[in-house]
Amino acid sequence: MAPPPSYTISPLAVLPGHTERAWHIAWNPTRPLLASCSADKTVRMYAYTPACKFTHVSTIATGHTKAVRALAWALSGRTLATASFDSNIGVWEQEPNGEADGEGTEGGEWECASQLEGHETECKSVAYSSTGTLLASCSRDKTVWIWEVHPDADFECMGVLMDHSQDVKCVVWHPTEEILASASYDDTIKLYIDDPSDDWFCFATLTGHTSTVWSLAFSPDGRYLASGSDDRTVRVWKRVSAQELRWECVLVLDGHERSVYSVSWSVGVAEEGNKSLGWLASTGGDGAIRVWAFSEPEGEEMAGSSIAPPEHRLIASIGSAHGVYDVNAVAWCPRDGHTDLLASAGDDGATRVWRVGVA
Amino acid sequence: MAGEIFNPNPTIFSTKPTVRKSDLEKQSLWINEKVVQDDNADGPDPIDQDEIFDLIRSIDDPEHPNTLEELRVVSAPQVNVNGNHVLVEFTPTIPHCGMSTLIGLSIRVRLLRSLPDRYKVDILLEPGSHQSEHAVNKQLNDKERVAAALENPALLESVEQCLSGAGRRGHSE
Repeated sequence: MAPPPSYTISPLAVLPGHTERAWHIAWNPTRPLLASCSADKTVRMYAYTPACKFTHVSTIATGHTKAVRALAWALSGRTLATASFDSNIGVWEQEPNGEADGEGTEGGEWECASQLEGHETECKSVAYSSTGTLLASCSRDKTVWIWEVHPDADFECMGVLMDHSQDVKCVVWHPTEEILASASYDDTIKLYIDDPSDDWFCFATLTGHTSTVWSLAFSPDGRYLASGSDDRTVRVWKRVSAQELRWECVLVLDGHERSVYSVSWSVGVAEEGNKSLGWLASTGGDGAIRVWAFSEPEGEEMAGSSIAPPEHRLIASIGSAHGVYDVNAVAWCPRDGHTDLLASAGDDGATRVWRVGVA
Repeated sequence: MAGEIFNPNPTIFSTKPTVRKSDLEKQSLWINEKVVQDDNADGPDPIDQDEIFDLIRSIDDPEHPNTLEELRVVSAPQVNVNGNHVLVEFTPTIPHCGMSTLIGLSIRVRLLRSLPDRYKVDILLEPGSHQSEHAVNKQLNDKERVAAALENPALLESVEQCLSGAGRRGHSE
């Protein structure tokens, strides 16, 4: 049996420009664009060529009155949502530039199509569901809001969920079902679903972390959930029963020396074929980026009912990814052919792009 | 909050001469932008426990006309430097001190503005000194909460007031 390949994380681009810390990045799902947001209240947009040459193509001044903490692209790739410490969510659309091509990076100015108010204090995260029909947001006001996306940038609030006892740091949607997960300063993760009358409710609370949970990422197949915490660990939770919607912690990954601020899970570039569960990247206050490869546990009896942890291997890591600065976010590129690209945002105000490849 | 310990004779903990080169005095590390990163701070006086204590000793208490040093809220032995990691423990004067978060935030901002970026700073209450120790510690060490707090003008103003005399570094004027 051949030994597993070894991987490296190679720097592809360093994209400075924000005048204060960069909090978050998001890859456009359909177009070759990468967006970053910052405490400097702007969003910077970078375009990349098939050969992965990145250039800065625009800056959105946003008009948020405080830091922009997070952003998320809609499924169409033509709408962007921003979450700000000013307690509002901004929804941005690009003016058409006469080019009907939905794949290109050309286009006009980014305009504010809508501003969603309602949170009482700083917004921390925003996320579109996999079908694009729902938008979730969360805040230090301890709530999670779910909005239905209507045409013409119209949003209807479907629910205000008040299950957390503290500041909610992150919301993420399941990749295939309308299940929402939230992470909080109260050290827990909560999962939500809607009942037949469209009322949203919390159906599970995942406990185990011993401090704030900063970030969440579902595995591409939706059967696992990874979380990164101030307790310096990454935990992997498994859906043990599809019917009961029960999730259990199956793995605790150590190694980071300070808080884990962000996790991202992608299909990776698998060598094990269809047993692969993808690649998980994590980062945090120690400035390191770590990448784990996951695959199906051996000898799983009945699909979905075992709580055996996935096979896992640390395939690559890099220290001081942004020099001495904290790394606040990592995100895998979702577009075909580029799933080995990883972007990171740091306290140095820069966005960096890396390629994870066989050494 | 009556009955505070009020020490009119501040104790000086430093065991090294406290005379500083005059050019270092003029180039106070406490200005609103970062100074030239490493050289000044690492120059004649390396960044050790005493240097960090020196930076924070003259922060004013928010409620009393005294510095944190005078009230024994901060002390050199409660500062720990290990490579690029700094741990500052502080002792509020009473166990239910409502100003603890503001004091901790002032210490953090002072160090954020004065130390080179490579330092990771943790600020904790002296164990056992406060009845909400865990809650206060958690807030003071949550980077996002600190960042948002500093975008609150009223809170920032309170911090600036505490920091207005911090450049005294233990001297009376």
